[in-house]
Amino acid sequence: MGRLVHKIGGGLRYAVLAAWLVAVLFPMIWLLYTSAKSTQEIYQNPFGLPKLLTSPTAENAAALVANYRKAWVESHFSRYFLNSLEVVSLSLALILLLGSMAAYVLARFDFVGRRLIYYVFLSGLLIPMQLILIPLFFQFSDMSEGLTGLLAPPVRAMGLGDLTVSLHDSHAGLILIYVAASLPFTVFTLTGFFRTLPGEVREAAMMDGASEYRIFFSVMMPLAKPGLVTVAIFNFLGLWNEYLFGLVFLSSDHLKTLPLGLASISMQAQYKSDFGLLFAGLVIAMLPTLVVYLILQEKLTKGITAGAIKG
Amino acid sequence: MKRFVWVPVLILLLSPGCSLQQEQPGAGIVLEVAVFEGGYGIEWHKSVARRYEQQHPGIRINLWGDPRVDEKLKPRILRRSPPDLTSCTLPVWKLIVAGKLYPLDEALDSRAYGQDITWRQSLVPGILDDFRYGGKTYAVPSNQGAWVCWYDARQFRRHGWKPPRTWREFTALSEQVKAAGVAPLAFQGKYPTYAWATLLSLYQRLVPLERWYAMQDLQPGAFTDPDFIQAARLLQEMATRYYQPGALAMTHTESQMEWVNGRAAMVFCGLWLKNEMKNAIPAGFEMACFPVPIVEGGKGNPRAVYSWGAETFFVFADAKHPKEAADFLKFMLSLSSAHDYVQRLDTLSPVKDCVKGVRISPELQSAVDVLDQRSCLFSDRLADLYLEFSRTALQQSLADLMSGKMTPEAFGARLEAAIEDVRRNPEIYKPPARGVPTP
Amino acid sequence: MTKQRQQRLFILTFLGPPLALYALFVLLPAVNAFRYSLLRWDGLGAPEWVGLGNFRKLLSGSSDFLSAIGHNLFLTFVPGVLILVLALFFAYMVHQRIWGARLFRVAFFFPNVISSVAIALLWVLIYSTTDVGLLNNLLKALGQKEPIAFTESSRLLWAIVPMSVWTATGFFMVLFLAAMENIPETYYEAAKLDGATSGRQFWHITLPLMWDVLTIGIIFLVVGGLKFFDAIWVMENGRPSPATHTMSTLMYSKVFEQYDVGHGTAIAVLLFLLVLAATLVSLRLLRRERIEY
Repeated sequence: MGRLVHKIGGGLRYAVLAAWLVAVLFPMIWLLYTSAKSTQEIYQNPFGLPKLLTSPTAENAAALVANYRKAWVESHFSRYFLNSLEVVSLSLALILLLGSMAAYVLARFDFVGRRLIYYVFLSGLLIPMQLILIPLFFQFSDMSEGLTGLLAPPVRAMGLGDLTVSLHDSHAGLILIYVAASLPFTVFTLTGFFRTLPGEVREAAMMDGASEYRIFFSVMMPLAKPGLVTVAIFNFLGLWNEYLFGLVFLSSDHLKTLPLGLASISMQAQYKSDFGLLFAGLVIAMLPTLVVYLILQEKLTKGITAGAIKG
Repeated sequence: MKRFVWVPVLILLLSPGCSLQQEQPGAGIVLEVAVFEGGYGIEWHKSVARRYEQQHPGIRINLWGDPRVDEKLKPRILRRSPPDLTSCTLPVWKLIVAGKLYPLDEALDSRAYGQDITWRQSLVPGILDDFRYGGKTYAVPSNQGAWVCWYDARQFRRHGWKPPRTWREFTALSEQVKAAGVAPLAFQGKYPTYAWATLLSLYQRLVPLERWYAMQDLQPGAFTDPDFIQAARLLQEMATRYYQPGALAMTHTESQMEWVNGRAAMVFCGLWLKNEMKNAIPAGFEMACFPVPIVEGGKGNPRAVYSWGAETFFVFADAKHPKEAADFLKFMLSLSSAHDYVQRLDTLSPVKDCVKGVRISPELQSAVDVLDQRSCLFSDRLADLYLEFSRTALQQSLADLMSGKMTPEAFGARLEAAIEDVRRNPEIYKPPARGVPTP
Repeated sequence: MTKQRQQRLFILTFLGPPLALYALFVLLPAVNAFRYSLLRWDGLGAPEWVGLGNFRKLLSGSSDFLSAIGHNLFLTFVPGVLILVLALFFAYMVHQRIWGARLFRVAFFFPNVISSVAIALLWVLIYSTTDVGLLNNLLKALGQKEPIAFTESSRLLWAIVPMSVWTATGFFMVLFLAAMENIPETYYEAAKLDGATSGRQFWHITLPLMWDVLTIGIIFLVVGGLKFFDAIWVMENGRPSPATHTMSTLMYSKVFEQYDVGHGTAIAVLLFLLVLAATLVSLRLLRRERIEY
């Protein structure tokens, strides 16, 4: 009897898990196959399989091609994608470099003010991005003016034309913010990591006459790889999907990142009643990160695990 | 702040994608025009820009459109780098009072393109009144809107339905439609303020224009006036009985799609409806419209039509080339551009005689008929003027009124309280009362 | 150069750039936020000092701000409780190495790698009252006559609850799973010898030993809920109504829609204070005796 109850309970638990699996996966699968339908077909048959699958003719494939061509080419999705790639990869490179530099020094050296600086970085964990958004907006204006005033005269003197520097509406400006705002978490996590690394390695390298710089780049950085991966994954997910700062600091269409581009495509699709375009756009926005995730998922889970245990 | 300047310099130079823009001297003028890409699209604007470039060598027009153009521009205005010309929803009066918009009078008093009168004289009278401040004009609409109720004449004929003239006929018709298994009205519920023009039209049907304009001029008690409450009650009854189920969560195109597909019989909308839905309208669909029904026993002018200057363009004072931008705007509103506008987009332009001698579609003819029976036109400015009022209290209470969560009395009281806040707030600029405009 | 000077130079070159960047783009604007919050300023003309006037107005009864806080709290706690319960349950199940555990772990995490904008748009489609609406069609098949307007402003917050749970559960499951896997097997073996049921094992071994991670999870949830922006902004098409504004969307609207920098920044400052308070309180309330193992 007790066994039976146990079995039913087990079955029930499985049912919950399976239901959740369907709930998570089905909407994504639905997006995928619906993106092969024309807007007319979506209206007539929103959930059934697309005609393309039931009778794969060239005529029925046209809707699929049209949707993706509209999204990728006409709605500039390719541009948004490359922009995201550029902004996020440059940000990540800088975050990892600067973050591990600071963390290494804070973890392995003793000097006056070390604790204070560590806590200053740590306090950033409590600052929500929203707090700095608006002051940064005006600070960027002042800094752009200052930089232009400083740099324009010599450039003009060299006969290179009029130079204007603008941190607004530029990838450079956004990257600076992303890097600065990611430092607290990065420094915090990596400091913990560098502390656990054995000290003998550094001493051995010192004996061989290596400089501190060499020791950091060719000994410590490779040892810290697991920590760097953790930090990279967390920052990647956050930055790849970041919306609010992009919304405020990027206004030109050719600079938009993926989330911004997606939002504007959804508006276009609304105004043109073009569901095919919307579905295709959503698939393009989702698929690459899903694929990357499937490839890297072991590392990502380990990263979260490491983060959880450290945190 | 300038003390810190050298730090980012280093990083900027290291970081690709930094925005060092070089302007080559003598390369001519580039005008940036940012257009709201709504129901009318931007194809017409682009064609006008191309013609302008042909006639004005040395000027290039960088014209772009976006349905969220306001979201892009508002930050740019704050950092003093706006485009030259735009048509988008902005806190216009804040900008006018702060001196951020460029007065257009010099251009308005110069000769119109292709006509022997000034630009000002070539426009429909009264259309420039809305954005006048300190004796200067700061905006020119590129469209003349009209608020009407659209239906598919073919569907009406098939069922033997007749376009209603009065409110009683309208409700009787709606019952008939419902009985036939069709939803009487589609509604753009995600944007509740679509009902504002309908509500104000109903109010106009009930009261003489003097009282209608008293509300516009912020007269206390206008929203608790029993006639206004009555108009709100009519709107609520219409919404709870005749809106398509689920309409309150639909975006404008979603609900209009339902109408195009014949599952809702009528929809209140502006003239942009045809162009907005052109990709979806099936063959044989016969768009036609009638004015907002008159209300039995109402004291309002039965031939007044809610009609306003829309798709309004502004030139920024901080723009690089405001004078040239104003000239391009004048070109956009020349008679020949207006003819093209009317034909391409099935809508009206504020340029006088824009439909004369032009072959227009039956849909537009139907709207022109409505406007031709007019004895006067009226339009709201509260929603544009006081965003503090329209973006919060109005939007929310309209939604609550139509979903039946709020009584018409509570609705009136809520709006009265919100407009009282506006009245009392010294920071909000209030233009002088305009009374009933004389035609 | 002496070795010590060399080392000092090293520390300076390594710590200098990150610290400068952080000071310039995080600390300086954070301090400025407090200054801006005391001004009446439209961002266009000259600012005027109003002291605590902005805060007084925000905290007065009739302001949109108080209801915005309410919305944030709703979006924190209603989905939060569901997420915690489900994530713990799933993590526990997967931890039992049941058949398909790997599939569940990988698949449940999926929504976390999708941008919040895409998720919001996907759920708009799911909730749609038109023919495309997944959920309304499902309800219709179950006998519901008229479509339900899930994303109507007055219902939108409720509609976001399933979306949040759908999105976040996978992340917290993986987080909790990590903590569970870190608990030495010997504890369970000892418990089994004592004849403890799996329920008892969960309450008396698993939960206490993963308390730290649970605390972190709760802080993540609270801070995330207080900062909520993307989904509201997208689902309301950039025009939230008083029934849907959160602190972040209200801040954005105040500054960039209404050009009211003072009130906007004052909201940001209050948001910061709330995040600070919530973090400290969570740490304090949940920080039990740390169990070392």
